[in-house]
Amino acid sequence: MSAATPHRHVDVAVLAARDREDVVVGNEIVRHRRASRLIHWTVAVTFFVSLLTGMAIWAPIFRWMAAVFGGLPASRVIHPWAGVAFFLASAVMFFHWLSEMHFEPQEKGWLGPRIFQYMRYEGDDSQTGKYNGGQKLLFWSASLGALGLMVSGLLMWFPRAFPSILMQLAYILHDVTFILFTVAIVFHIYLGSAAEPGTFGAMTRGTVTRGWARLHHPRWYREVTGEEARRR
Amino acid sequence: MSAQSLEIRRSSASVWGSRSGMRTVPTVSKYIDTTTCIGCKACEAACQEWNDQESVATRQTGTYQTLPTLASQYWNLIRFNERDFDGGIIWLMRKDQCMHCDEPGCLVACPAPGAIVQYANGIVDVNPDQCIGCEYCETGCPFDVPRFHATTGKMAKCTLCVDRVSVGLEPACIKACPTGCLQFGTKDDMVAMGTRRVEQLKANGFANATLYDPKGVGGTGVVTVLAHGDHPEWYNLPADPRVPLLVKFWKSVLRPLGVVAIFGAVIGAFAHYTKFGRKEVKGPDERDTNLPDA
Amino acid sequence: MTNGWVDIKNADVILAMGGNPAENHPVGFKWFLEAKKTRNAKLIAVDPRFTRTAAVADLYAPIRPGTDIAFLNGIIRYAIEKNRYHEDYVKIHTNGPYLIGEKFSFQDGLFSGFDPAKGEYDKTAWGYQADEKSQAYGVDPTMQNPRCVFQLLKAHVDRYTPEMVERICGTPKGTFEKVAEIVTSTGNAERVGTITYALGWTQHSTGVQMIRAGATLQLLLGNVGRPGGGMNAFRGHSNIQGATDTGGNTEILPGYLKTPVGTQTNLKEYLETATPTTLNKQAWASMNYWVNYPKFMVSLLKSVWGNAATKENDFGYDWLPKTDGNYSWMYLFDDMYRGSSMRAGGKEPGPEGLVSFGMNPVGLGPNSKKMIAALSKLKWLVIAENVETETASFWKAPTEYGGPDPSKIPTEVFLLPAANFAEKDGTFTNSARWLQWKWKALDPPGQAKADQEILSRMILAVRDLYRKEGGALPDPVLNVSWSYANPVNPDLAEVLKEMSGKAVADIPDPKDKTKVLKTAGQQLDGFGQLQDDGSTLCGNWLHSGVYTEAGNNAQRRSTADPNGLGMFPNWGFSWPANRRVMYNRASADAEGKPWDPKRPGISWNGQKWVGDVPDIKPDSPPGEFGAFIMLPEGVGRLFSPVLNDGPFAEHYEAIEAPIANPLHPNVTSNPASKKFSSDKDTYGKKEDFPIVCTTYRLTEHFHYWTQHQQNGRLNEMQPGFFVEIPEGLAKEKGIANGSQVKVLSARGEIRGVAMVTKRMPELKIDGKPAWQIGFPIHWGFAGAPNHTGPLANMLTPSAMDPNTWTPEYKAFLVKVEKA
Repeated sequence: MSAATPHRHVDVAVLAARDREDVVVGNEIVRHRRASRLIHWTVAVTFFVSLLTGMAIWAPIFRWMAAVFGGLPASRVIHPWAGVAFFLASAVMFFHWLSEMHFEPQEKGWLGPRIFQYMRYEGDDSQTGKYNGGQKLLFWSASLGALGLMVSGLLMWFPRAFPSILMQLAYILHDVTFILFTVAIVFHIYLGSAAEPGTFGAMTRGTVTRGWARLHHPRWYREVTGEEARRR
Repeated sequence: MSAQSLEIRRSSASVWGSRSGMRTVPTVSKYIDTTTCIGCKACEAACQEWNDQESVATRQTGTYQTLPTLASQYWNLIRFNERDFDGGIIWLMRKDQCMHCDEPGCLVACPAPGAIVQYANGIVDVNPDQCIGCEYCETGCPFDVPRFHATTGKMAKCTLCVDRVSVGLEPACIKACPTGCLQFGTKDDMVAMGTRRVEQLKANGFANATLYDPKGVGGTGVVTVLAHGDHPEWYNLPADPRVPLLVKFWKSVLRPLGVVAIFGAVIGAFAHYTKFGRKEVKGPDERDTNLPDA
Repeated sequence: MTNGWVDIKNADVILAMGGNPAENHPVGFKWFLEAKKTRNAKLIAVDPRFTRTAAVADLYAPIRPGTDIAFLNGIIRYAIEKNRYHEDYVKIHTNGPYLIGEKFSFQDGLFSGFDPAKGEYDKTAWGYQADEKSQAYGVDPTMQNPRCVFQLLKAHVDRYTPEMVERICGTPKGTFEKVAEIVTSTGNAERVGTITYALGWTQHSTGVQMIRAGATLQLLLGNVGRPGGGMNAFRGHSNIQGATDTGGNTEILPGYLKTPVGTQTNLKEYLETATPTTLNKQAWASMNYWVNYPKFMVSLLKSVWGNAATKENDFGYDWLPKTDGNYSWMYLFDDMYRGSSMRAGGKEPGPEGLVSFGMNPVGLGPNSKKMIAALSKLKWLVIAENVETETASFWKAPTEYGGPDPSKIPTEVFLLPAANFAEKDGTFTNSARWLQWKWKALDPPGQAKADQEILSRMILAVRDLYRKEGGALPDPVLNVSWSYANPVNPDLAEVLKEMSGKAVADIPDPKDKTKVLKTAGQQLDGFGQLQDDGSTLCGNWLHSGVYTEAGNNAQRRSTADPNGLGMFPNWGFSWPANRRVMYNRASADAEGKPWDPKRPGISWNGQKWVGDVPDIKPDSPPGEFGAFIMLPEGVGRLFSPVLNDGPFAEHYEAIEAPIANPLHPNVTSNPASKKFSSDKDTYGKKEDFPIVCTTYRLTEHFHYWTQHQQNGRLNEMQPGFFVEIPEGLAKEKGIANGSQVKVLSARGEIRGVAMVTKRMPELKIDGKPAWQIGFPIHWGFAGAPNHTGPLANMLTPSAMDPNTWTPEYKAFLVKVEKA
């Protein structure tokens, strides 16, 4: 920002714009307003704290992760509380994005072959709105996962309150959920950073370029800008 | 609680099992003869005294049993059960405590390296230095023995007086038993003693008498003579205790699979990158040069 | 115990009745289990409750509290009818063949000689038939004469059919017959059985007769005197046997010598009455060892007054207190409460003060309200105790105990802190009669002092007062021998030496008068060396030999067991004379051969008796003397003309009973038993209080002491008072397990937690279903915070056995309600 003093008047307008979503500011489009980004990162941070403390407890091979938090006993103390925070943040995120995350009829394919097609950078994206089917899928899986982790985690927190067989199921549920969750998050991060340049900024500055929007979310681009996607 | 001098047979959450030492040490065992136990609770008092346990607040609820179940500061409990039998009644008393399984479910379930150890002589012990108080062992145990101690944040259970045994003494409960229904020695000797007593009971009309030493957990470090061996549940004992299948699945299948899956995902993403590269806007993307960088 | 704890392992059959050894004697109980494990012995538990003893018994028989005599007489009948008694034994070792005089009879529940006005028997009506020729008893060795004891016994128990037993006791006929069969399987030479009992027998208005019935059965089965046999009383405290041996009761002096009565004005008269005449001088004559009574008595007097006791002054006999009636503590409390002595027809005032050591009468006395009311009339009360008991704090008893307002109680209470058992040296005499030395484990806290120091300081202070000020009857105190190294706090080893006995002058050897058996000052080897001329002193002839020139035998700890029967002759010291099994002459047959060669007590080797210390002259050949040397007839008594309520045991209902006696409804309860008549001595009717109730102790608690533990383990394990209620009764009354109930008797009401259980069986009594309940005694208002509870004895009646004046704690009537 240091060199930007001459453009101060513009800065203010842009910053103000970035509190609103789906608006065009110059050559960029605000994709995630600040609230959205805050919620996302809160979920992310609580998730990672839970993840690292939990994985350290989970498998000896990840025990080094506990070092970040001062060892296994500390991890054990932090984990359930971080988990609760993660769950609460996830719940806020869920309601925050719920209205935008309904699957449209043509998106049903994302539950099947479409997702692999997408990963091969193939297929027709022309009808992709603000969120594509994969993102919606992640939203729903993450929300469901958060719930699963919370419920199973609660049982694990108070094992004597429940019958042994329920506890055993809780451990399995917690593990399966966490494993799938983590695999999904790995791809989420990968796609949001290395694989799709320009995406990360959507969660940091909140904005994307017009080109990015045209490429990944053409319909959203049209809705936001009111113009037909220009072909190069 | 952990006696450093004792060699380790098995240790929780350790990839290679962490067996230490090379000596051959006989497996030890308690012997409990429920047919000569008079429920005097001397073993309870001795356990409390030797282990310097804090007192437990109890109240009279209409039973001779001190507490409904074992507690984090009450590791030894006589369980009393009265029931109708053969036109009369029977009143069964069994000393409940850690069974020191050959295949300890607690140790299997435990995620903290070295928090639960099985010494070379078979004693299963909690090492509070390593215990993280996650309580997984409670679920792993088929006998419902380990308990979370709220004050220490650690798990607690009968240590088979490893501190006494390691210096050649019998456990405190055995020492205190006035009737001799509790004995301590090598597993082989205790099994032999129990087998003899069971034969005597069978000759005296208890056709179903058994020596409870369940194979499902590889045998236990507490062998128990039961007159009504066909009904171990009458003594609050599981008929066929095993390390819960789901716990085994969790630890032996799901966990390695999960590790593979997570590493697999990272590698997969990397592989994807090498094959498909980025998905980016072709040509120079427009950007309002008036906008500041983030 | 006639035998010992360890000896129980030698039994083939153990009848545990009138006691709950697993719970109340758990350490000794190991020998029951040893017998079960090593000999496959059969353990039978007969008890109103299915106890922890029953839990490990081979057979359990339920019984209504207070009906044990009917049960035992039923077994006796079974043994005789089925010829399952040890006939050879009965013929030589019991008075079965002896003929009884014509004055003896039994009709309608009364033995001959009953005086209804006094409620007492004239026991001369029960004498043996004198034989004109031999000037001794008439004897029919074939036991066919209808007047012989065996035939009279047979006739007496004939009414106790299994059906009658079921009707009275509620024990199902089949169960009773199984018990009888197993017990009588020992009525022969090959097998032997023991009977163990405790306060479940003694604490009845027929308590002594219950024990008599057991002893009769054991004699009939030939089980007395034999290893693995005997009549074995389990004492309720670690040293209660020692206390009894050492004059713990009002009617006895140390060594079971008799307390003199006022009419015995000099030693000669006293000794003549006390020393029994040898009645049987024929074959199997009696040694009548009590002929040595004067030696024991004179040596006792010498131990009390030392050099002041001389032949000229009857060894201080005049200084001994004499009684003029019953001074047992129940009577003392009655006197206190009435404020006058009933012995003197209410003419004398009651006691004005009480000194109480190691006893908590408010807790353990029956009818607690009367106990408290009685103490409220005293001027002063001195208590030496470890803790502030109910007795020490009687004046602040809760209102439901009915005591006066504390401001109206004139009693000045002095509570002297006393050391407990672990805080002093000394001996415990266990139930097996073993004197075992114990060493102090720790110092008493604060200003607490050992009993002997408290007593010594009292005695010395009183003596000083007498010296300074004089007063009534100074001689007993001024002349007392108090020659301890530290007179203020005598070393108990010194006291033990005095009790064991020593020579105060040289004692010549009776075999060779030129030699000296013991020189003055030497410890004696045993009571055989005691003299009646004042040359020996001995504080308790029965304990004589515990401390010899060889040292303190109570400290011996040798585990050598020469005959493998667990006698351990060099462990501690077993009175009398280190004998491990009493009456052991009866363990051998007429020729002196052990009935069972594998379990010999003693045997005759041609010159002398070998084995245990023989309970007979060591070199007297078989046939010369009878096996029961302490009895003037020399044989065991199937018929005992000395008890106050009959020569045979007869079933009487408890003073409070749910039915009239089916045998003789007009004489329903023991006609000789004692009751009190003050306004506080109320007795309930079966119409108002239909449920039978009994009281007992628990393993986890020690008497009224555990409740004082602040942070101990034992209160955790039995955290409070409860009432055991049968499931059926609970259902009838809508009482849930763990809920509050109240129990009422004619004397009061207590509340507690209901323990609804299968272990209190419903019984059919006299053909009708009847309920019984019970509760433990261990609580009272004086415990540590959170550990107090109701006094069980609030409900128990002040009715007594006529021989020991032991209250009837074990069978009384109540009703139960939801609280």
